[in-house]
Amino acid sequence: MALHVPKAPGFAQMLKEGAKHFSGLEEAVYRNIQACKELAQTTRTAYGPNGMNKMVINHLEKLFVTNDAATILRELEVQHPAAKMIVMASHMQEQEVGDGTNFVLVFAGALLELAEELLRIGLSVSEVIEGYEIACRKAHEILPDLVCCSAKNLRDIDEYSSLLHTSVMSKQYGNEAFLAKLIAQACVSIFPDSGHFNVDNIRVCKILGSGIHSSSVLHGMVFKKETEGDVTSVKDAKIAVYSCPFDGMITETKGTVLIKTAEELMNFSKGEENLMDAQVKAIADSGANVIVTGGKVADMALHYANKYNIMLVRLNSKWDLRRLCKTVGATALPRLTTPVLKEMGHCDSVYLSEVGDTQVVVFKHEKEDGAISTIVLRGSTDNLMDDIERAVDDGVNTFKVLTRDKRLVPGGGATEIELAKQITSYGETCPGLEQYAIKKFAEAFEAIPRALAENSGVKANEVISKLYAVHQEGNKNVGFDIEAEVPAVKDMLEAGILDTYLGKYWAIKLATNAAITVLRVDQIIMAKPAGGPKPPSGKKDWDDDQND
Amino acid sequence: MMPTPVILLKEGTDSSQGIPQLVSNITACQVIAEAVRTTLGPRGMDKLIVDGRGKATISNDGATILKLLDVVHPAAKTLVDIAKSQDAEVGDGTTSVTLLAAEFLKQVKPYVEEGLHPQIIIRAFRTATQLAVNKIKEIAVTVKKEDKVEQRKLLEKCAMTALSSKLISQQKAFFAKMVVDAVIMLDDLLQLKMIGIKKVQGGALEESQLVAGVAFKKTFSYAGFEMQPKKYNNPMIALLNVELELKAEKDNAEIRVHTVEACGGSIQTSVNALSADVLGHCQVFEETQIGGERYNFFTGCPKAKTCTIILRGGAEQFMEETERSLHDAIMIVRRAIKNDSVVAGGGAIEMELSKYLRDYSRTIPGKQQLLIGAYAKALEIIPRQLCDNAGFDATNILNKLRARHAQGGLWYGVDINNEDIADNFEAFVWEPAMVRINALTAASEAACLIVSVDETIKNPRSTVEAPPAAGRGRGRGRPH
Repeated sequence: MALHVPKAPGFAQMLKEGAKHFSGLEEAVYRNIQACKELAQTTRTAYGPNGMNKMVINHLEKLFVTNDAATILRELEVQHPAAKMIVMASHMQEQEVGDGTNFVLVFAGALLELAEELLRIGLSVSEVIEGYEIACRKAHEILPDLVCCSAKNLRDIDEYSSLLHTSVMSKQYGNEAFLAKLIAQACVSIFPDSGHFNVDNIRVCKILGSGIHSSSVLHGMVFKKETEGDVTSVKDAKIAVYSCPFDGMITETKGTVLIKTAEELMNFSKGEENLMDAQVKAIADSGANVIVTGGKVADMALHYANKYNIMLVRLNSKWDLRRLCKTVGATALPRLTTPVLKEMGHCDSVYLSEVGDTQVVVFKHEKEDGAISTIVLRGSTDNLMDDIERAVDDGVNTFKVLTRDKRLVPGGGATEIELAKQITSYGETCPGLEQYAIKKFAEAFEAIPRALAENSGVKANEVISKLYAVHQEGNKNVGFDIEAEVPAVKDMLEAGILDTYLGKYWAIKLATNAAITVLRVDQIIMAKPAGGPKPPSGKKDWDDDQND
Repeated sequence: MMPTPVILLKEGTDSSQGIPQLVSNITACQVIAEAVRTTLGPRGMDKLIVDGRGKATISNDGATILKLLDVVHPAAKTLVDIAKSQDAEVGDGTTSVTLLAAEFLKQVKPYVEEGLHPQIIIRAFRTATQLAVNKIKEIAVTVKKEDKVEQRKLLEKCAMTALSSKLISQQKAFFAKMVVDAVIMLDDLLQLKMIGIKKVQGGALEESQLVAGVAFKKTFSYAGFEMQPKKYNNPMIALLNVELELKAEKDNAEIRVHTVEACGGSIQTSVNALSADVLGHCQVFEETQIGGERYNFFTGCPKAKTCTIILRGGAEQFMEETERSLHDAIMIVRRAIKNDSVVAGGGAIEMELSKYLRDYSRTIPGKQQLLIGAYAKALEIIPRQLCDNAGFDATNILNKLRARHAQGGLWYGVDINNEDIADNFEAFVWEPAMVRINALTAASEAACLIVSVDETIKNPRSTVEAPPAAGRGRGRGRPH
């Protein structure tokens, strides 16, 4: 023990060396708010149809070009603990609704920014929180009154595609009409009577080349695979699905075969061949003309499959296999047994096709009654297709939300301004100090039309004052007009710009919760990162370990 | 109290944003285009690229060059991607697509700097592309498929146009015929892999030949093969997946597939139970000497749906480039068979689209007018670059072209041979319309993508793959 450096008195004394500790308004709360504000600033410019894309290069050097807040945040690896909470809120929104992640961020950022002002003028944290909670409850009370219409017919493609416009528009401005139609077609065709819609049943297959407008929807599945055998096209296919390799059976235990003469050796291999022959023949006799297998295909088995004119497709992914089973209505067999009629799937045609220069195997239903439909996306770059896929994802999620709750609220900032207006007037009726917080909560809603306007290069203050003016006259559905190049407003219901009620509901709830959680924190204690031994830098030690 | 900065992201994260970022992205893309600019057209020059392992490649194929350049700039990578996409979709026109995308960006750069909102640019570009594609579809000339002679002529013309910009342009007539022969031999699926290309060093280019069947380098024979006859007429062929021995070993799979396609047998995995219907059949099996190699030929096959091109030539790089050129030509011919409408090359279609869009832009008000005008101007890069590469006075020729197109000369383009303009449709400089449509869509999609980005955030590259946990645990538990 050489020199003992005496530690500073107080809290730090109790901690291990290297631990960080912040407390109080200045050190903890403001810093947390600052971090969240910065984060919101990053995604704010990506909000809305006129939002800009971000190029994010993640730690694996993969490039993302997107304006999807959830993706940006996922790849950003946010480290600040407070900012992480907001990120979590946005993830929650992604899971709950699948769309509107950016709304959560922008709104939570605005709430915190305004909270800082309140704290600086001397309100206590708990008063701000209380005010925000009251306001949030009020917002949820008001929200049902703002519903302007609801989806009528869940099976009408045209109606749906117009409802999907808004969510697709914010990702792929300019292509929304085309994409929304694709998504609506895909969704409506597989929407079961039971009303339970599974997002997983819409598959996306991305193939490089051509342009977005060559994308298409088909009922069934598309795999980027080649067929194994000679048969490349089968009409009216009976499909046997095996989760095991298409190969001869190997016994579980080790056995030894004693072979004494050359004749026995020949008979041995011949016997194997005959067995295989019989097996494949039995499958062929059962009526199956397509075999899908999850494992590898033995040369011998392939030979007999060719001989009996059976198409052979190999799928590596267990999930793909499961989905295919669902599409064609087959049961995956774990052993190479002869399928009975019930276990076989059916599909109108199975064929090998070339899209661009990619070979794909298509399982297609002619009628629109399949359980799974696939959107084949075309695009000139991988990044672009990834981004379109995210837009499709949002669109499909919107559909799902609509199947749960058909109510819709006007978009384009109309709902937000109306909420702001009503909450402000509500706030004025409150006697206590929380009045300030409630009014600030209302003000935070302005961040949404503000972001829309700023991203379109329009003066935000002018837009907001115009919106307030119109709403004061009782036009609840008027929002910011994106298309106009000057600050202008128009009726969102007429323009068909509608958001889902559930999306808004959850976004407001989650954003408020996240903001409140961040505000509640008044101390940050960070233990010294454990780290453990550093990854070996030199090669030497590591090799030693490996050798002994 | 120490005002430490708030650390939001991981240490080492690099982020840049705003208009300067956008402009720098555009600049990066222009640098990339600079690299392939001079390769466009019949008078384009080739590039010699030496990769990390010291392997030299000579090429003037845009996609090949960009692939080898190993671009790391994230925005510029997009251009590499569209070149790849064009390669995948049509196989040719990769240089054009890169040039077009870069030129689109160059034309909008001043508007971006002036603060025009990128979304407006994107909107205008999408409209312009849609219009241009419709226009191509409208004016493209369709050649009837039923007329085999006509169709063949069309295919050869398209192949010749594709080849004229390549290293082997001197022999373009020779190779165009060969390529068309090869593609016509295929079945309806037109699978590219059914055309084998073998390279044998030595000899002249003209000694290259097309084999209607399968040819491959003799791989391996058992002792005693010298005694075997070198030629069989009307042989029956058994195709085995196993060696003619009891020991099983894999054969060369590619050759097998080809032979099956050609001779109409099916692959046998077992030597037992050979029957007549699984045996293949062809007219002649022959073993001959080509250059320094012995080659096996299966020719005169009744169900031939495959063929092999044997390339001869001097240097290895030269033959590789020839192979790439033939690949482009084959892809073009396949495209032309699937879509039988053609347009005139040599900058003619671009000039016509440029004129059409310029005229259209004058009919609309607002910023869109300027932007569609910029798009129209950008299209002129193709004839301009053709002239530049040939050493012509581009301004002069472009003026002539503009004038002629204004007077209704639909198919007037650059005449490379006479330093003038000519009706390229009459001159048989034909390209499948599909190539141009795809090039325009891809280029404008890429330009839109790059313009729509205003921020780049780069995470630090994660350190070398973390060693597997199990290994480390074991290492630590070891007594020292």
